[in-house]
Amino acid sequence: MKLHSFIRHAALLGLISISLGACNKSAPTEGGAASPASGEKTKKIAFVTNGVASFWTIAAAGVKAAAQEFKIDAQTLMPAEGISDQKRMIEDLLTRGIDGIALSPIDPTNQTELINIAAKKAKVITHDSDAPQSERLLYIGMDNYKAGRMCGEMVREAMPKGGTIMIFIGRLEQDNAKRRRQGVIDAVLGRPDDSNHFDETSAVLEGNGFKILGTLTDQFDRAKGKANAEDALAKYPDLGCMVGLFAYNPPLILEALSQSNKLGTVKLVAFDEDDATLDGIQKGNVFGTVVQDPYMYGYKSVEVLAGLLNGKPAPGGAEKFLDIPARKIRKENVVEFRTQLKTRLGATQ
Amino acid sequence: MKKNLGILGLLVAVCVVTAFLSGSFLSAYNVENVLRRSALFGILSIGVGFVIITGGIDLSLGSVVCLVGCALPWLLTVQLWPLPLALLAVAAVSLGIGLFHGLLITKLRIQPFIVTLCGLLLYRGIARGFTADQTVGFGNEFKTLRLLATGKVPFLPGFELPAPLIFLALVAILAAIFLNRTIFGRYLLALGRNPQAATYSGIPTQRMTILAYVISSGLAGLGGVLFVLDVNSAQPVDFGNFYELYAIAAAVLGGCSLRGGEGSVVGILIGAALMQVLRNMITLVTTRNNVEFAIIGAVILLGVVADELARRIAARRRAAHVLETAGVR
Repeated sequence: MKLHSFIRHAALLGLISISLGACNKSAPTEGGAASPASGEKTKKIAFVTNGVASFWTIAAAGVKAAAQEFKIDAQTLMPAEGISDQKRMIEDLLTRGIDGIALSPIDPTNQTELINIAAKKAKVITHDSDAPQSERLLYIGMDNYKAGRMCGEMVREAMPKGGTIMIFIGRLEQDNAKRRRQGVIDAVLGRPDDSNHFDETSAVLEGNGFKILGTLTDQFDRAKGKANAEDALAKYPDLGCMVGLFAYNPPLILEALSQSNKLGTVKLVAFDEDDATLDGIQKGNVFGTVVQDPYMYGYKSVEVLAGLLNGKPAPGGAEKFLDIPARKIRKENVVEFRTQLKTRLGATQ
Repeated sequence: MKKNLGILGLLVAVCVVTAFLSGSFLSAYNVENVLRRSALFGILSIGVGFVIITGGIDLSLGSVVCLVGCALPWLLTVQLWPLPLALLAVAAVSLGIGLFHGLLITKLRIQPFIVTLCGLLLYRGIARGFTADQTVGFGNEFKTLRLLATGKVPFLPGFELPAPLIFLALVAILAAIFLNRTIFGRYLLALGRNPQAATYSGIPTQRMTILAYVISSGLAGLGGVLFVLDVNSAQPVDFGNFYELYAIAAAVLGGCSLRGGEGSVVGILIGAALMQVLRNMITLVTTRNNVEFAIIGAVILLGVVADELARRIAARRRAAHVLETAGVR
């Protein structure tokens, strides 16, 4: 008899908890404060990068800080082996029942389908690199074309009399890389804003007293990246300026320049905030760099996803774009910038 | 040496064409760069050459380069180990890896392909683990140590020899003496040609196999150290990626037979240089480097096909000549 009543009680309890759970699922915003004891699960979100880099470590610090602040379970995932690895990660996250994903798509056009599938099962936003044709709710990042133009402006400042330029970049398959490079080219050549065209990497482009001799990619092989810089110096002994557009490019160019005793003679304009780049700015070997704000990419991604999961509308208006503007770092503001970077990284470690 | 004439011809041809198409190719600066890169890859190629000569294969080279290349700066700048200890550690690790491979292959009789393929996954994974995927480098420190890879030795007026070339020369001379002038070199070649016959004739085949893998990993370790000293930055995800294939390609180009029993140090050096000159040519001569691998693949294939055809024609002529002289008598 005792056993029988126990089973009945247990069954009843089970039924109640199941129906409560169903309520929670169908209306996630209801009863949030009233029923913490009923075991409402912490929402799980993931911040997926497009590769492994120190840039993403800074973003991960932002993710961590925001996760604590907005009381959400957030993890950072860095795919090491390119696009197939990223796809696998997203599929596995969906299988695990993730609630929200912030993704930096490697190949936006061809990943639209994957993003749309993910968007049906979870709240999906993009960061760093956008996939405008997909059903993502928002893009958090900067306009890479505009940031590229900022970089191009610095090239012009570095070479007031014009000259020859080589561009170095990891790879050009991804949207942000294309736009960033195009921004540099258009600003240097004094073209009007038009982010939708793409100059061939092999084309020699002239205008405004400048000559852009070409763009070399290295597919993330650092020895190759350094070799590219060396080969460019060998090919064009009178090269005026080298532009390194992925975070690791400027340090490799610095190595090539220092080994050929051309530090300071050939101008170097950088992108991103590698330590060696910032050192170079302080020493006067790098003219300047354009920095994104990866910390805020991470932080804002978590904040927005947490809001979306709590029923708040997506920010960013009709453009579905939350701008985290880029900044120019030169000798004047490099120390201040480094201090801020250290504090942010240190705070979460 | 006769065997290497084909590949040497190809190297010379590529150099002549490149020099003709680009005025900068023969500039002291560029020659120094190409020599340095050829030296770095040459060291790896000689190592894997030893394994190939025994009829084995080492696919873990690139990952050993990664492990050592990440471990050295990590030990020095993150763990703050004293320099001698850190160097000792990376040397022990790379030689130990070779010993580990050799033991698995000889004692447990696991296929070299599998052992070293697992090594390829394992060592990069370990490097990613202890660095937590962080880029490591020396920053502005260890400038003197870095001279081992970035330093230059005055040679001719206006031309200096890159330091890695000195390492390569030492390694190559020792390897050539070992392979051609010592009994152990004979053992290695015999082992590669016919392992059973070698065993029956009293050659310590197991020990020789282990030795080959130790040499391979050891030189990969040396290469990894020099690579990271040169580049000054290593990201465990991609550092040394595919380098095993460059090294194997160079060794095979240089006359090492993947069936074992054949190979020469000079040939390997020429093969390694050819790979680097081709890459250099593509950047100097063309303005697009996305077709790089296509060009490298095509040129190497053409060279190997031409070499094979020339060999066949020569063999046919020789046979005809033998028949002729036999007929006359």
